[in-house]
Amino acid sequence: MPALDDESRLVELSLSGDPEAYAALVRQHQKMIRAVTFRMTGSPDDAEELAQDAFVRAYRQLGSFNGAAKFSTWLCRIAINLSLDWRRRESRRAGLHSKWAAGVACENDPGGGFPDELSRRVQEALNRLPAKQRAAIVLTLYENQSHAEAAKTLGCTEATVSWRVFAARQKLKRLLKDLPHEKD
Amino acid sequence: MNNPELESILKKARLPEISEESLEMLPRRIVAGLKRNDPPPRAARSFSPHLAWALGLAACAVIAFAAGHRRGRMETERTPAADSLASAKLVHEMMAMFPNQIRAIVQDENGGLKLVLSDTGDVPASPPLYVRISDGKHSSSFVTFSGQEIQVDGQTITVLADARGGIILAGNQFVWSSSERTSAAGHLKIEARNLGTVLM
Repeated sequence: MPALDDESRLVELSLSGDPEAYAALVRQHQKMIRAVTFRMTGSPDDAEELAQDAFVRAYRQLGSFNGAAKFSTWLCRIAINLSLDWRRRESRRAGLHSKWAAGVACENDPGGGFPDELSRRVQEALNRLPAKQRAAIVLTLYENQSHAEAAKTLGCTEATVSWRVFAARQKLKRLLKDLPHEKD
Repeated sequence: MNNPELESILKKARLPEISEESLEMLPRRIVAGLKRNDPPPRAARSFSPHLAWALGLAACAVIAFAAGHRRGRMETERTPAADSLASAKLVHEMMAMFPNQIRAIVQDENGGLKLVLSDTGDVPASPPLYVRISDGKHSSSFVTFSGQEIQVDGQTITVLADARGGIILAGNQFVWSSSERTSAAGHLKIEARNLGTVLM
């Protein structure tokens, strides 16, 4: 994790038009952003493309980053919103082109590349959640954001985030009930 | 299954591994794209309205004076070369006033001039290139430099100078070269010349 001073300096240098400073910021945060976009899409290729879009958009908007939130939180907000836009576009495309619908439905199968069966099953279950519920789980569980922070990221109220997390948990419990779990 | 049990399962889930090559390539791809296309983002934050107004007023005054002066002198000439932009003196004055900042000086068909400036003065010194494009109904002329991208009627056109001083225009739907007039430029009539020898 980079020191905040270093990060602020890299942001300043990037604002001065130094692309290599921005490359350093990308290196520092790309794993986190790729994780977010992967959890949101379930596809490594789409996740990489969305991560790239998120960093490019963040660069263009860097002048509006005022340091009120952590840089990583600010980046995460951009990545989540791009992922939600992407999901909306994909859904619309599936609706307009019924012949592609089968292909889109197959996106629920996250395919290979997972280190174990549990990881594959969890992603498969996440893919089955409505996008906004998935975003709520990604932010609160994987990115450790409070419901208030997630609400800011998603542009909704804290109560809405709480409801989405609740609904997502209910569905995930049903989808993952056959997995072995440690009793409290 | 209760909430802590569910969270325990969700947190145990790991992601597919990302190759070192992919981790190395993503920052490079992003930076390559930024170097090629994007304006520096500083302007969005440190925009100074006073400075912008001062620069804008100064530019307008110079352009109005130069255009009026030029029009007065050449009123009787009606050829495309009568553009204010074809004036080496005007272009020279502009370049001296905004060194390495001018991306383009654009003139519309009514004779209005517009300066397109870089915020950071990163336009490499190179011979200015004069281009006039007409589609039969509308025309537009501009002076720019090799490697710059110009918007004409909503179309992005890249202007390049070749090693022999020729000019190449690459648009979304056409490529045109001053040395091969038969290149596909559709219905567009294009005139281009290198002003470099006069000004450099």
